[in-house]
Amino acid sequence: MLVPLAWTISSAFKSRQDLLSLPFHWIPREFVFSNFAEAMEVAPFGQYYLNTIMIVFGLLFIQLITITLAAYAFARLRFPGRDLLFFLFLMQLMIPAQSVVVPNYLTIRNLGLLDTKIAVALPYFASATGTFLLRQAFKSVPRELEDVAAIDGCTGLRFIYYVLLPLSKPAIIAFSIVSIVYHWNEFFWPLIVTDTPNARVLTVGLSILGQSIESSPDWTLAMAGTLVVAFPLFLVFVVLQRSFIQSFMRTGLKG
Amino acid sequence: MAKTHLTPSNPFKEVSMMGKFLRPYFYLFPAFFFLAIFTYFPIFRSFYVSLFRWNTEYPQKVFIGLRNYVDIYNDLLFWKVVKNTFFYSTSTIMVSMCLALLLALLVNRKIKFVSFYRASLFYPNLMPMVAVSLTWLWMYNPGYGVINYYLSKLGITPIEWLNDEKIALWSLVIMAIWKNVGYFMIFFLAGLQTIPYDLYDAARIEGANIFQKFWHVTFPLLAPFTFFVFIISIVNSFQSIDQVYIMTQGAPNDSTNLFVYYIYQQAFRYWNMGYGATLTALLMIFLLSLTLVLFRFLGGRIYYQA
Repeated sequence: MLVPLAWTISSAFKSRQDLLSLPFHWIPREFVFSNFAEAMEVAPFGQYYLNTIMIVFGLLFIQLITITLAAYAFARLRFPGRDLLFFLFLMQLMIPAQSVVVPNYLTIRNLGLLDTKIAVALPYFASATGTFLLRQAFKSVPRELEDVAAIDGCTGLRFIYYVLLPLSKPAIIAFSIVSIVYHWNEFFWPLIVTDTPNARVLTVGLSILGQSIESSPDWTLAMAGTLVVAFPLFLVFVVLQRSFIQSFMRTGLKG
Repeated sequence: MAKTHLTPSNPFKEVSMMGKFLRPYFYLFPAFFFLAIFTYFPIFRSFYVSLFRWNTEYPQKVFIGLRNYVDIYNDLLFWKVVKNTFFYSTSTIMVSMCLALLLALLVNRKIKFVSFYRASLFYPNLMPMVAVSLTWLWMYNPGYGVINYYLSKLGITPIEWLNDEKIALWSLVIMAIWKNVGYFMIFFLAGLQTIPYDLYDAARIEGANIFQKFWHVTFPLLAPFTFFVFIISIVNSFQSIDQVYIMTQGAPNDSTNLFVYYIYQQAFRYWNMGYGATLTALLMIFLLSLTLVLFRFLGGRIYYQA
């Protein structure tokens, strides 16, 4: 299981001659750190980092608002059509954004949003997974608490903000981790809607780096780039292993 | 707490009938708005656009009825892509899940370094598919890749992992199993921990051996949620494109061309939007019927419980 990681690291630190010299060896003859600097020059990775961070966290912020409100309605209110609407929300799980890239691309083009950061995030503003997760959490808050809060004039949005959300921290953290991982790694949709460095994300940058390889096989740079893109999530994963794994367990799904 | 009974007279709860009726819909509106634009509307739009010829030759849409569907029916490549995608998805998910269950049963005991094993099985799931694809593209390299190096030590001649028509799709499956297995293992571990220990005790008293315990206790209790995750995973696997884009571009001889990659080729390589939309519409029919099957089967019990 660890071979691919070791292989990536080993290749990223080798010099070009070393990489292709036989017999094969895991430890580089000489550690070459300039691969990373060179990889960063092939594509503007600094800009891509910034774009990715802005998109991932901006999106998470908006998702938390939309899913909190929807989860509150599903968990604590009774209204006609609730089951039907719930079913419609569930449908998002079965129709991943990837499968409707063609019509969504046309929509983004009609809105004049091609090649913007907002276009990368827009199709994910609502999240079925997040709504279900928070709904479960909100449901576990006892009704008496709502009644008591109401006496103090804490109803509706204030009740959500001061009572429900603080009590649902584990669910919120779980959703946040899964959302960040998913959108940090996302590739195809950003590839389709972006054209220039000002909206491109890290994964798209990495694919450009990968394609420049075809002309001159430069695997040291590609492997260095791979580490650059995957490193932040790895670091957080090593530190917060338990809560990462639990988050994926809780959501049971990706995205 | 006794104050609870006073709530009916609470002035803050007195809202107009209309406002009270509409309130839930206000809360649902933001999420529903975006779902409508980027999940429901695209379904209709793909069916609508599929009725037109709309490509570089015809920059203005021309209505052609169901002609696109007839073209697809006669498109040999389409059927090949469907076959590839089914093979890829089902073999990836089934093998990953079986392996994962086995690993979960092994790890679900008190052994040393559990968290190390878990982490090393789980980390591929956190890597971007693009990064994984590049790494494996390099590992699969016939001349310098690590896989052929070790095979050659065993006396096996170099394998053209991604250039041999008969092997290339398998190579993608192997990579996907590596990426997925840890995720499924974590999922099974969670499931195993919810099984009450008394059940195993009872089984032991009845004289059940380890396989009987698995077949009569573990398996039935894991089954419903497993089925749900299985379907969702098949659906997600159906969307695989990153690895095709990076590693093979569908080659050799379209043996690794998968459904969403074919859509991408038609819509964004050849700018044949009508055909791309028709393929999308067919994918919608497949996914929606799968949804119905899933809900028929589960009766919504997964998310409705508790």
